[in-house]
Amino acid sequence: MKKIGKVAVFGSGVMGASIAAHITNAGIPVILLDIVPEGAEDRNILAKTAIKKLLKSDPEAFMHPSNAALITPANIEDDMHRLAECDWILEAIIEDIKLKRRLYKQIQLARKPGSIVSSNTSTIPLGDLVKGMPKKFSQDFLITHFFNPPRYLRLFEMVAGPDTKSDALEMIRSFADRKLGKSVVNCHDTPGFIGNRIGIFWLQCAVAKALDDGVPIEAADAALSRPCGIPKTGVFGLLDMVGLDLMPRILSSMKESLPPDDPFHSVNRDFPLLDKMIADGYTGRKGKGGFYRLKPDTDKKIKEAINLTTGDYAKAQKPKLESVQLARKKGLKAFIGHPDQAGQYAGWVLLRVLAYAASLVPEIADDILSVDEAMRQGYNWKYGPFELIDQLGTGWFRERLQAEGIDVPPLIQTAGNRSFYRTHRGQRQYLDLTGDYRDFQRPDGILLLADIKHASKPVARNMSANLWDIGDGVLCLEFTSKMNSLNPFTLSMIRKAIKLCQRRYRALVIYNEGSNFSVGANVGLLLGAMKIRAWFAVRYLIKQGQETFDALKHAPFPVVGAPSGMALGGGCEILLHCDAIQAHAETYSGLVETGIGVIPGWGGCKEMLFRWSQDRTKPRGPMPPVINSFEMIATAKVAKSAAQAQEMLILRDGDGITMNRDRLLADAKARALAMVDDYRPPEPANIYLPGETARAALEMAVEGFKRMGLVTAHDSVVAKHLGITLSGGDTDHLKPVSGNRLLELERDQFVSLARMPASQDRVSHILKTGRPLRN
Amino acid sequence: MREVVICGYARSPFTQATKGALASVRPDDLMAQVIRGLLERTGVDPNDLEDFILGCAFPEGEQGLNMARLAAFNADLPLTVAGATVNRFCGSSMYAIHMAAGAIQMNAGEAFLCGGVESMSRVPMMGFNPMPHPGLYKRFPASYISMGETAENVAQKYQISRAEQEGFAVQSHIKAARADEQSAFKEEIIPITSEDGMVVKDGCIRPDTNLEGLAALKPAFERTGTVTAGTSSPLTDGASITLVCSKDYAITNGLTILARIRGIAIAGCAPEIMGIGPVPATRKALERAALKVEDIDIAEVNEAFSSQALACLGDLGLSQEKVNLHGGAIAIGHPLGATGARITGKAASLLARGGGQIALATQCIGGGQGIATILEAA
Repeated sequence: MKKIGKVAVFGSGVMGASIAAHITNAGIPVILLDIVPEGAEDRNILAKTAIKKLLKSDPEAFMHPSNAALITPANIEDDMHRLAECDWILEAIIEDIKLKRRLYKQIQLARKPGSIVSSNTSTIPLGDLVKGMPKKFSQDFLITHFFNPPRYLRLFEMVAGPDTKSDALEMIRSFADRKLGKSVVNCHDTPGFIGNRIGIFWLQCAVAKALDDGVPIEAADAALSRPCGIPKTGVFGLLDMVGLDLMPRILSSMKESLPPDDPFHSVNRDFPLLDKMIADGYTGRKGKGGFYRLKPDTDKKIKEAINLTTGDYAKAQKPKLESVQLARKKGLKAFIGHPDQAGQYAGWVLLRVLAYAASLVPEIADDILSVDEAMRQGYNWKYGPFELIDQLGTGWFRERLQAEGIDVPPLIQTAGNRSFYRTHRGQRQYLDLTGDYRDFQRPDGILLLADIKHASKPVARNMSANLWDIGDGVLCLEFTSKMNSLNPFTLSMIRKAIKLCQRRYRALVIYNEGSNFSVGANVGLLLGAMKIRAWFAVRYLIKQGQETFDALKHAPFPVVGAPSGMALGGGCEILLHCDAIQAHAETYSGLVETGIGVIPGWGGCKEMLFRWSQDRTKPRGPMPPVINSFEMIATAKVAKSAAQAQEMLILRDGDGITMNRDRLLADAKARALAMVDDYRPPEPANIYLPGETARAALEMAVEGFKRMGLVTAHDSVVAKHLGITLSGGDTDHLKPVSGNRLLELERDQFVSLARMPASQDRVSHILKTGRPLRN
Repeated sequence: MREVVICGYARSPFTQATKGALASVRPDDLMAQVIRGLLERTGVDPNDLEDFILGCAFPEGEQGLNMARLAAFNADLPLTVAGATVNRFCGSSMYAIHMAAGAIQMNAGEAFLCGGVESMSRVPMMGFNPMPHPGLYKRFPASYISMGETAENVAQKYQISRAEQEGFAVQSHIKAARADEQSAFKEEIIPITSEDGMVVKDGCIRPDTNLEGLAALKPAFERTGTVTAGTSSPLTDGASITLVCSKDYAITNGLTILARIRGIAIAGCAPEIMGIGPVPATRKALERAALKVEDIDIAEVNEAFSSQALACLGDLGLSQEKVNLHGGAIAIGHPLGATGARITGKAASLLARGGGQIALATQCIGGGQGIATILEAA
């Protein structure tokens, strides 16, 4: 298969520019083209401005700011000849079919044979786009629909036309999957494809019902979010996020393109308040606010919510809803069966949305898997529509539809009382359109712990961690505690893994499929020990962690850490002790202990000093390892991607990055197996540190920051203890310092800080509020 | 006693550290290009040069070893021209001139290249390995006091308000921008070849600087202080050079004499108010030259910070109208080791253009020092 070495993106609006940025995240150069504005002195001004905006975007569009240099700004008048350099030409201009067709004609004249052309249209059918174009064009053409923001939402809808060549499809599928980390879903050529067809219907149902029944938006969002496995933004929060001004355009496009009998029309109605809000600049988070806003003319952050009837804002309420509380304990069915307003409201919306989704298969997709995947990855739903129906029970769902007078879709009839998903003889299966169960087929290179869990029992288990046999002699350590925080049970399981691996396995992978790899040590336990002044217990816990991680580091088999999401504090320290890291690109890692008034105590200080001392790319000498480690740890700096973790040396040369979350375990396993032959654990090493002079230099720097008001009183105390550790204690840069001595310094300084009331206040505060205390 | 004269002055453009056009240029390369430029402009025979004395405030990394010798090699100077790197922080390259003047008067050479360079992009302030003496730091912390803190101390001690500092900074930019517009820097700037092409212009001057903009800035060094980034000299990359000769040599070889060195001085002061260093240094230099402050027609007083420059002018009784006619370091930039040769060369050039009879060039120096040079029109 040909490779994609360069991409052209037409349209430097939010989508085009963000797609360009994400392509550079894969290391691929992009030419970003837009029109030349009338009278512009700089003919590439639109693309250049877009790149500047990308560098300031929040959340960050680039995984590393240096990726911006991979985008070449260009324009469609002067630079069309450069399409000859590109293997993929992606159009992301405004949704105007005439403009798109005109552009395609220009592209066809300039592109090289065999290059692929695609459109990021979210609404226009492929058949209409290629009408009148030569077959040579339509053979290389498809729709590739990203979701916003493209770096973070994994759904990639792909639509092929009757002429589209299979090798073109495969080339894009493979690139999107492996290089862009996308979940590629095949869609049929229908309006809104899968994600927006169902998503827009869901939003409209929710808005219409809230308007009809006078449901406050806070209650609507509380109902249509966590209890249903939907992000906490719910409906109105989501609309604020995507931009209210987009809605009328999308709705009118859906209205025009959907057949008259589509249920969409029954929930699509005039919404004068929305029009007024847009006219007044209330376009959502990007504007003055939306359904929610921060109270204007005050420095305090007071969140306000709009009243859908009056259009007035008032302080946003946190509704206490019995049904929502019940959902946590008894699940979705109990929730929507509850008689309070939230339960009734969510039930009305969900029944219609799930029925609508079920009625659209096979019109929009070949199978239910595609529909569920699209809603999970495009709208961040925890469960797809068919998984939600399974939670309600197919029979119960059908009866509720009948009771409410909603047409029962044929697929629901076909299912009868059977669930859409099941595990049969250890094999995950789904119901196909004929009513037969089919096995899940995972593509090569995708290995999911979820599948392994369905097919086998853990090798070992305790209340905070599991060990799984993932085949080929590789053991997998999975954390299972809340937020995957680390505690004595986790440490005990690590020690067990070391013993087991020595006897029966060849390598160990540390991996899980939670949202976060690990948020660090269980701070609640630390606070408990602080409150009863059990300093011996704090010291013991620190020592136990150090010894466990050290044993992991020096175990006689390769250990690969495979993080995704947050790997903070102790979660980062465990990675620093692995032989190699295979990180998901979206890994957020760092040593953040100073935020709770302590320093890394499980070898984090030691490991960072060694990493920086071995770095050959920076100026050398006794101080750079100390300064670089200090800057990173004292400021609790977090790498917001694996690429940034490379820069901070959390990832080293030889560590790997996986773009596609689903490929992470297989990649980590392969990395571990590649290290098995000739594996030798690292030898204990010494380091040369400057001692007291380094402490003086660091103190001078901290005093400067203190004068500037950037450092609080306790920050400087914590920094001083960190300085003692990182400088190597009482040493001189001609004397070797052992790893064990550094661990001893970590322990002493950690416990000394833990004894301070100011540190205890920090720990208490973070447990209460989730935010660090700046005391 | 032999008379010492300045027969040439040149510099690179001064550009913002890290973001500026010279960030990618190694300091030894930058210096070499400026050396070549000066030789070409003055026409001096390099075989006659005794030594190249190079000032640099943080001589490590790419500025390490004996950078003077290496830059001389890089500039293809004859191997007979020696090289020494000298560090007196911001006063380094002015001190290089003083060293040459002393040597000439000792009959230890006829012609010297005296310059300075600092790439604040490529070698950070404090260097890569700051290793202060812990005992001294405890006993006498001011030994290592930060420059920003000294600027606040001077502002407080000499009652220099924030508004006064900002007014001075605006004037610096206005004067520099005007000089730039009138191509006054063209004759001193040597175009530099960089990775991204030729760099021909200064990069720090902001012609649109105004009081409102400066008033909106946050204090840079102390939360409740008065000194901001706008009233401090920016971190800068740049190199400068002068040709210092005996008067006899200059006349014999037909060189253009810009000015005669009439007096020099170094003075120590309390490190926590190092910005006032130019006052005792200037007084000493004037006394040695048998002159008074009133005799000074033009002055180049380095603007490390508005606060210290204003304090010095006030204490010396120097009128602002005579000072920094083409702007100062707040606008042009302050590549530490290179500034001394720039302001001394600038003062000499202004005298040569008929700016008056007597000129002063003076600077404050970290650690609590001042340095001053009195020049006389040729």
